[in-house]
Amino acid sequence: MLRFDFLEARNLRHAIALLQRHGNDSRVVAGSTDFLVRWRQGFWRPAAVVNLKGIASLGRISFSPRNGLRLGALATVQSVESNAHIRRRYQALATGATSFAGVQVRNLATIGGNVCNASPAGDTLPALLAFDAQCTIAGPQGTRTLPLTEFFLGPGRTALEQGEVLTQLTLPAPMPRTGSLYIKHSPRGAMDIATVGVASVVTLEEDGRTCRDARIALGAVGPTPFRATEAENLLRGRTLTPGLLGQAAQAAEAAAKPIDDVRGSAGYRRAMVEALTTRTLQHALQMASGRAVTFEEQRRLAVQTAF
Amino acid sequence: MATFKVLEQNNPRVDAWEKVTGRATYAGDVYLPGMLMCKTLGSSRSHARIVSIDTSRAQALPGVRAVITGVDFPEIRFGSGALKDRYIMARDKVYYIGEPVAAVAAEDEITAEEALALIDVQYEDLEPVVDPLTALRAGSPSVHPDLESYEGYGFTIEGGNICTLLDADRGDVEQAFQDADHVFEDTFRSQGINQGFLEPMACVANVEANGRLTVWASTQGPYQVRAQLASVLDMPLSNIKVIPMELGGGFGAKLRLAFEAFPSLLSMKTGSPVKLINNREEVFTQNGPRHPVTNYLKTGVNKDGTIVSREAYTIFDVGAYLGAGPNSGIGHGLGAYDIPNFRLRSYAAYTNKVYVGSYRASGVADMTFAVESHMDMIAHNLGMDPLDFRLKNAIKEGDTAVNGSRVPRNGLFECLAAVKERLGLPRELPEGHGVGIALCEWRSGTGPSTASISVNEDGTVSLLTGSVDISGSDTSLASIAAESLGIAMDQVIVARRDTDLAPFTGPSGGSRIVYSQGKAVELAAEDARNKLLALAADRLGVPQDALACADGSVYVQDNPPQSLTLGQLAAMSVTSRSGPIVGNASLSTLPYAPVFSAQAAEVQVDRDTGQVKLTRYVQCQDVGVAINPMAVEGQLEGGAVQGIGRALTEDMQFDPETGAVRNPSFASYLMPLALDLPELETLLVRVPSEDGPFGARAVAEPPGFGPPAAIANAIYDAVGVRIRELPLSGERVLAALRGEGNDVAYIGDELQELKRAEGLAV
Ligand SMILES: Cc1cc2nc3c(=O)[nH]c(=O)nc-3n(C[C@H](O)[C@H](O)[C@H](O)COP(=O)(O)OP(=O)(O)OC[C@H]3O[C@@H](n4cnc5c(N)ncnc54)[C@H](O)[C@@H]3O)c2cc1C
Repeated sequence: MLRFDFLEARNLRHAIALLQRHGNDSRVVAGSTDFLVRWRQGFWRPAAVVNLKGIASLGRISFSPRNGLRLGALATVQSVESNAHIRRRYQALATGATSFAGVQVRNLATIGGNVCNASPAGDTLPALLAFDAQCTIAGPQGTRTLPLTEFFLGPGRTALEQGEVLTQLTLPAPMPRTGSLYIKHSPRGAMDIATVGVASVVTLEEDGRTCRDARIALGAVGPTPFRATEAENLLRGRTLTPGLLGQAAQAAEAAAKPIDDVRGSAGYRRAMVEALTTRTLQHALQMASGRAVTFEEQRRLAVQTAF
Repeated sequence: MATFKVLEQNNPRVDAWEKVTGRATYAGDVYLPGMLMCKTLGSSRSHARIVSIDTSRAQALPGVRAVITGVDFPEIRFGSGALKDRYIMARDKVYYIGEPVAAVAAEDEITAEEALALIDVQYEDLEPVVDPLTALRAGSPSVHPDLESYEGYGFTIEGGNICTLLDADRGDVEQAFQDADHVFEDTFRSQGINQGFLEPMACVANVEANGRLTVWASTQGPYQVRAQLASVLDMPLSNIKVIPMELGGGFGAKLRLAFEAFPSLLSMKTGSPVKLINNREEVFTQNGPRHPVTNYLKTGVNKDGTIVSREAYTIFDVGAYLGAGPNSGIGHGLGAYDIPNFRLRSYAAYTNKVYVGSYRASGVADMTFAVESHMDMIAHNLGMDPLDFRLKNAIKEGDTAVNGSRVPRNGLFECLAAVKERLGLPRELPEGHGVGIALCEWRSGTGPSTASISVNEDGTVSLLTGSVDISGSDTSLASIAAESLGIAMDQVIVARRDTDLAPFTGPSGGSRIVYSQGKAVELAAEDARNKLLALAADRLGVPQDALACADGSVYVQDNPPQSLTLGQLAAMSVTSRSGPIVGNASLSTLPYAPVFSAQAAEVQVDRDTGQVKLTRYVQCQDVGVAINPMAVEGQLEGGAVQGIGRALTEDMQFDPETGAVRNPSFASYLMPLALDLPELETLLVRVPSEDGPFGARAVAEPPGFGPPAAIANAIYDAVGVRIRELPLSGERVLAALRGEGNDVAYIGDELQELKRAEGLAV
């Protein structure tokens, strides 16, 4: 059926109740930027659509050193991109957001929608994974939390159960001497889906040389975005030389399981994982060492893969 | 340069207000009382016999008013050219995925879509052929086994899938190759391309009370739509009125009948007006894009860099029907060069894919990529500067063009010189950066053109032509009328036209509107002016040659105050012996007027990703006279952007098994955005043409020809790899950098077969 009932949720309880009432034939929407496309294409044809956008409390973004970053699921990608805390402490997330679509879509699209859509190429997902995001999920049985690493089950498939809604993402506060960057490889400078996306987060010890922690997440090279843990393990506790970064990049490439599609062959995607892992690590390392990189510069690095 | 009052000025467009305020009306904006919506069902098979179509469930859906299938149309084949190889809607067979097999008219669009899902089509699959080189081979499945029986078929060759061969020969090619110091051979391939116009195909059809059919269409060729519609509906042409609405981009895709026949027949069945608007997926899958083209070039050159011989074999994949065929691609295997011996062949091969449309002389763009890459490779091989090598062989005034015409005066050398100077060539760039050039050639388009100008009593003039406005052509036509009559631009009213009202004219395409239609306007204005002068001479009692026409008046040259305004003359004319003043002109063809453009790209190549960034683009074109420099530059920039998309990112991909379009959306078919483009530098050279209006030449097509070769040549300059296949994607460049030869296969076997079939020595 092409026709559906459009139901406005007044609050979270109402939303869950509506979803329960309409069961499998319903779908929750936020910005609807994925929904409308998928509906037009005929992939999703629910009888009832439950709109969350009216629940203002789900759109907040807050940061405290103790609780870290709290992202309401309805926070728009634009609000993530422009948030001062995020730009300062979670550069990979800000660059993920700024590399996303174009201004109009960023104004509509939500971070929760990007996560729940579970596309392997979702641009905010590698950074959220690399910053150890936790999901808060509300449902008929109450609220539960789940690490984001366990949330993605496959392309478009998540751990959400019938009637459940993602309400918040929580990212621990980064340690001092942390730098990060996301780079999106796509032929076009905007309005393009990532052929490959890589986010790297580097934290240095007080000596400014030894790697205290490194986290690398890859997008568009597997059924879900994922962490390249073997590559991360090569770096922890070691001095970060160009050679070592190269080895980590090769380990990341080895972990990638891309497919051929209209955007590029598997082989090219693997090569891009290596190139972008090296680059994101280099820049993250420099930022962790205290080099100030303006947001404009980060944006240029993130979007225009080549330069 | 002659001095002009109106031309060579940046006059605003005559339709600026309507366009900027969003009030211009497009076909999709037409709403009629009781209007129904039409949707079409596309074939799910690439090649199959239709066993049965059951529309009963769709018919029964509330809100559905009519369902039609191929058999509801008269059994008449038609074609875009002479060859009549298709029905307007599939009858007994389908030839590509997406081919319309049924259409529904319903009270709203959603009901129409729901009805499509209720139509049950039973197919019996036939073996498809998707790759054009396979299609050429003997033993390949045949797309049109009965081809030889089709009306308009005039070519026989074994294999059966070749529907057209265009050829041109001069001199003794074989001997020249034998005598040449060097012979170079290369194969190039360009990709599938979509025109990417913003406004999807749209139309409204209505059977009027008097039984005539009115069609509001988004078209570049209202008279072509009328004629083809009359043929597929088997009704007199005079029973159809086509009203061309504002055109939201066409680029050749809207030159011919598209889907107008479906709402037309549905309107005849229901008695209600019916509207059809394509969605973007339908545009990609049903509406004539361009398919990949394979180009084999062989060139004989002497030690001093003189080209003596050229062989060009080009294989155009046209999809399931001839459609727009090679789209001007013959003869361009020579490029802009004087080559004494040549053999040029363009083959069109059928495959089970959507049939091709026109796209801004797309075949020439394909060939320019090949020829200008090949030229660069030869120059490097000979150790010559690429620009000098082109200068040495460039065609000159007095040479014989491939079509046998004498080459008239033109600005080719001036264009190359201007680009050389702007960039300071030859030029060394830092590592990873490079510069490349391309020389492009084209001709000013011609064909039937008419214009009529009447002078109004307030001194304004009304201009009536049958041509559809594309990219501001109405503004140019108004400027030509104003210049000829010595009045201001805002004194020219460009009439809204339809096929009942306006005199017949050729379609708006092929670089012909300003050149040929503009000439008709110039002649019609001259005719009106002569009538004004004659009347003024009579009323002022002076000989006609003592008079001049300027600033809205006819005056005595020796005594300007003795004058009559155009308004006064128009008022007098009403009761004069010769009657109201109307200037008319008709012409069919104008002589050959070439157009040349030199283009140059600067790029930066990322060695780790292969990604190419265009950092500078310079083009210079000989425009003869700039009717409106702002509009000319707009055309040149728009064309270059389309060429840049073709060079770097645009790529219509087809499933190798089924021929289905794999990326029928702007999310995966990547046209360049502002962010992807450098500032475009546009230079104009003005060597007036002999016959164009006020010396103008055509402008529209050449700017899009250069970017693929200029950028490929720049990549070579930057990192030393040669990419022979479009687009010049990061993936291809990286593979080449890593020596993983992402190359176009040599097509030796296919060539031998083609030559043998023609009886040539192999
Ligand atoms: C033109 C265009 C360009 C795009 N470019 C990009 C891009 O560059 N990068 C990128 O990553 N994406 C891109 N997208 C995809 C899309 O914009 C994003 O995935 C976006 O974040 C989705 O958010 P939304 O709020 O619009 O989600 P919706 O469309 O409303 O929902 C998406 C999915 O998530 C579910 N959902 C949404 N919110 C919740 C929730 N709180 N709890 C449970 N389920 C929920 C919905 O049921 C649905 O399945 C693009 C889309 C378009 C149309």
